[in-house]
Amino acid sequence: MSGERLSAWMRTAPIGGSYAVAAETPAATLVHMPVFRPDDEARIRELFDALERPVELLVALGPEETPMPGAGDLDFGGETRRIVEALAALSENVTFRVEEEPAGLDRFPAIAVLPEGEDVGVRYDGLPWGYELGSLVGAIVEAGRREPALAPESLEALAGLDQDLAIEVFVTPT
Amino acid sequence: MLLAYKIALASPRVRAAAIEATEFPRLAEEMEVWAVPRIVVNGVPQWDGAVRERVFVERILAPVFE
Repeated sequence: MSGERLSAWMRTAPIGGSYAVAAETPAATLVHMPVFRPDDEARIRELFDALERPVELLVALGPEETPMPGAGDLDFGGETRRIVEALAALSENVTFRVEEEPAGLDRFPAIAVLPEGEDVGVRYDGLPWGYELGSLVGAIVEAGRREPALAPESLEALAGLDQDLAIEVFVTPT
Repeated sequence: MLLAYKIALASPRVRAAAIEATEFPRLAEEMEVWAVPRIVVNGVPQWDGAVRERVFVERILAPVFE
């Protein structure tokens, strides 16, 4: 491993915790690189094999690629598709499909995480690289549970909700 | 992020999206994202940083029951 590769690896090395997985390289050099490090691949496979119900990933590519300043030739939609393909290849429990502008998605690229193919409002907007691959893996693991993974008090508080809530969590991959 | 996903999966009233801030810079600017994770509920910025489940649920419900 070259010094440059090694330092890139160290910047994205897992920090521990069940979903701490990271894509191998920074976005600028993602293209044609493996999506996972071998250890992460085995860990994700294990997590996906333990899913209690199938999870479908819907990739929304958008009408056309909007070039970003400084992004060079990086195709965000194409890279998102590549990551999702690689995840789905790890387990029969995870499948995916790709559309341009599916209903209910308005930022691109985006991934809708669908437990048993049902849209329950779980999204990842953007290219899930670096540490954020862990967020997408976590979304799949959670969507694969049959029972809610929250404390009874939380479920009780949420049961009293009489209006719709849209939670958005702004994240960065590093 | 996982908490937001768990809540969306537990309640039909709740949706949860992770948004990669550097890829949606205009939206990130509108939501005044200077630190991550920044939590926004129904288009209104709420707080930055990870908190425990009880606190997270209390905070997202606070504007509703005010």
